[in-house]
Amino acid sequence: MSAPETTRGTSAAPATRWWNGRGELGVALGVAVLGVLMLLGTATMDVPEGAGTPGPQFFPTIVGCFMLVLAVALAVGVIRHPRRPGPDEPSELNADMLADLGNVESTTELRIVSGDPDLASRSATPTAPRAAGVRPVLMVVAALAGFILILDPLGWLLSAAALFWVVARALGSTRPLFDIAIALLMSSAVQLAFSAGLGLTLPSGILTGAFSWIN
Amino acid sequence: MDQLTHLLEGFQGALTPINLLWLLIGAVLGTAVGVLPGLGSAMAVALLLPVTFSLDPTGAFIMFASIYFGGLFGDSTAGILLNTPGNSSAIATTFEGHRMALSGRAAKALGTSAIGAFIGGTIATTLVVFFSPYLVTLATLFGPAEYFALAVFAFVAISAVVAESVVRGLIALGLGLCLALVGIDSQSGAERFTLGLPAFFDGISIIVITVGLLAIGEVLHVAHRSGADQPASRVVAAGSPFLNWREFRTALPAFLRGTAFGVPFGAIPVGGSEVPTFLAYGTEKKLAQRRADPDFGVRGAIQGVAGPEAAGNATAGTAMGALLALGLPTSATAAMMLAAFQQYGMQPGPLLFERSADLVWPLLASLFIGLVILLIINLPFAAVWAKLLLVPKHYLYAGITVFAALGVYAIASSTTDLWLLLGIGLLGFAMRVYSIPLAPVLIAAILGPLAETTLRQALAVSEGDPAILVSSPITVVLYIVMGLAVAASIVQQLRARRRRATSSA
Repeated sequence: MSAPETTRGTSAAPATRWWNGRGELGVALGVAVLGVLMLLGTATMDVPEGAGTPGPQFFPTIVGCFMLVLAVALAVGVIRHPRRPGPDEPSELNADMLADLGNVESTTELRIVSGDPDLASRSATPTAPRAAGVRPVLMVVAALAGFILILDPLGWLLSAAALFWVVARALGSTRPLFDIAIALLMSSAVQLAFSAGLGLTLPSGILTGAFSWIN
Repeated sequence: MDQLTHLLEGFQGALTPINLLWLLIGAVLGTAVGVLPGLGSAMAVALLLPVTFSLDPTGAFIMFASIYFGGLFGDSTAGILLNTPGNSSAIATTFEGHRMALSGRAAKALGTSAIGAFIGGTIATTLVVFFSPYLVTLATLFGPAEYFALAVFAFVAISAVVAESVVRGLIALGLGLCLALVGIDSQSGAERFTLGLPAFFDGISIIVITVGLLAIGEVLHVAHRSGADQPASRVVAAGSPFLNWREFRTALPAFLRGTAFGVPFGAIPVGGSEVPTFLAYGTEKKLAQRRADPDFGVRGAIQGVAGPEAAGNATAGTAMGALLALGLPTSATAAMMLAAFQQYGMQPGPLLFERSADLVWPLLASLFIGLVILLIINLPFAAVWAKLLLVPKHYLYAGITVFAALGVYAIASSTTDLWLLLGIGLLGFAMRVYSIPLAPVLIAAILGPLAETTLRQALAVSEGDPAILVSSPITVVLYIVMGLAVAASIVQQLRARRRRATSSA
């Protein structure tokens, strides 16, 4: 699902390129691949003796076919109506429907519904791609992956503090030293409250035995 | 009036010091996650699920329920003061609420929204208490075919009617169904999509799915947008939050109208409180136009805040009723509470009232106590809660990341779950970038197993004849209502498309 990300990042190409606004074809491809994998997994499933009918393969077959149909539907929709490159659009709600229900005026109020500050200007000029976007995302992903790797050897206290520090940094904090203090405070507070208070087991790692409240 | 006796006994159960403590913690946490942007009560409940393993179930559910209500109390604060609603349930309140704030009546708007939330929640909870026996009787008529119809109704409503685009809504639904299929099939014992890994035999935890999609996905999304958001200017909440008698008399009809919209919508699965809050706002707007109200849409009218807020919390009340009596989650938070019931080995539905009466009635009683506590901590102190908005964004989201990791690790102390969390977080990020809604994934992941089990049971009984799915009046009515809702949605989309075509020409 992350492959189409690259088309978005390099969309500085001239607006006449065919795939502009059609990056979602990657999503359709992903959905299709998922559907195929579901059907393959269903076909190769070991069905135990005596399973009733309809058996364990019945529902996955429906879901797999459903995904394939949706992939085609999305691909057709994207090819026929490419989307304007622009800020991420709201997805949870049908803004048109809510506007109808609430008798909302299209000028000022819809701006809040769609959460989009430049709704009016968007249709005219495609917004320039943001360069800053990709690096913080990679930093957060790396922070989480690093956290998972060092959690057991180093223990909760240090790895959670590191996670906090890197994520805060990725999101634009400018006070690295002060952040170290906050990060350590945060991870020790969690360790105290949940490990000592609620009896949760958090790995103590290299600090085993250093403080009585860690274990 | 059995219900009154039960409810009084429930109050006895709820009014113990420890339960009151959980209630208070839930109310504070709920209000906080409501006020803070990017957090919601569904995520708060999901994060608390693993750490409440060791609690007594009654205490845990009392806390979850007050988080649910608290989230709806707190959500309007950011909308009113900053004009940026943190949760979609507060959008409708924001229109008039922010206008009131700009004209120097921010505290009044916050007070109105707290009172509205209280009135809506209280009326809806009272209705649930008195109608729950009838709901339970209704639910005993439900067999596999009826429950399958109910699940399909929930799927269609959440993905096709509420989501922005039908295809994207259905894709989200399919993703949720795929995630729910991983694991050992409970009926036949067949391994499905586990890749042979024992870690997947029990399926993918709904906690990992929720926290990954909502928390990690949101953090990545915020990281992606960082720098693009303009800092919003905050209005200071000056003045008294209390309404005088004249203002209260103006607002009361709007409170009641809003509640009337919220109550039915809480019991049907259209994704929570957005639809009724907008209906309430639209009604208040039309009424203001009819009586030529000079304030509405200019200085901000108190009714425009009162109606949507009452509607929002009324849905939470009836959603609890639908969850307890039918086992049907009608919002993401209710879905998390259903997962909590399953964690404690309980199945909400008609049998819950018989088998776990000692849990159900204290829980219902605690809803009333919780609403009073929430009113007390919200009405006079709304301006204090607004201070939470001063927490810098990078600390807020760093904290969310740490708590997400904590909550998921706490499920089984397994790093496999954490890798899964990262993967699903990336999925949630990609879904946000490509405008695929998240709520259908959660509903499908939770109701998917129910849909599959009931479908297979029904077809096994009928020996493969699909006619059994539409063989009872209840199923026929459900499918007809579903058809009408889809038709209405199609008409509405066509109208919107035509309007856009004429406006751009």
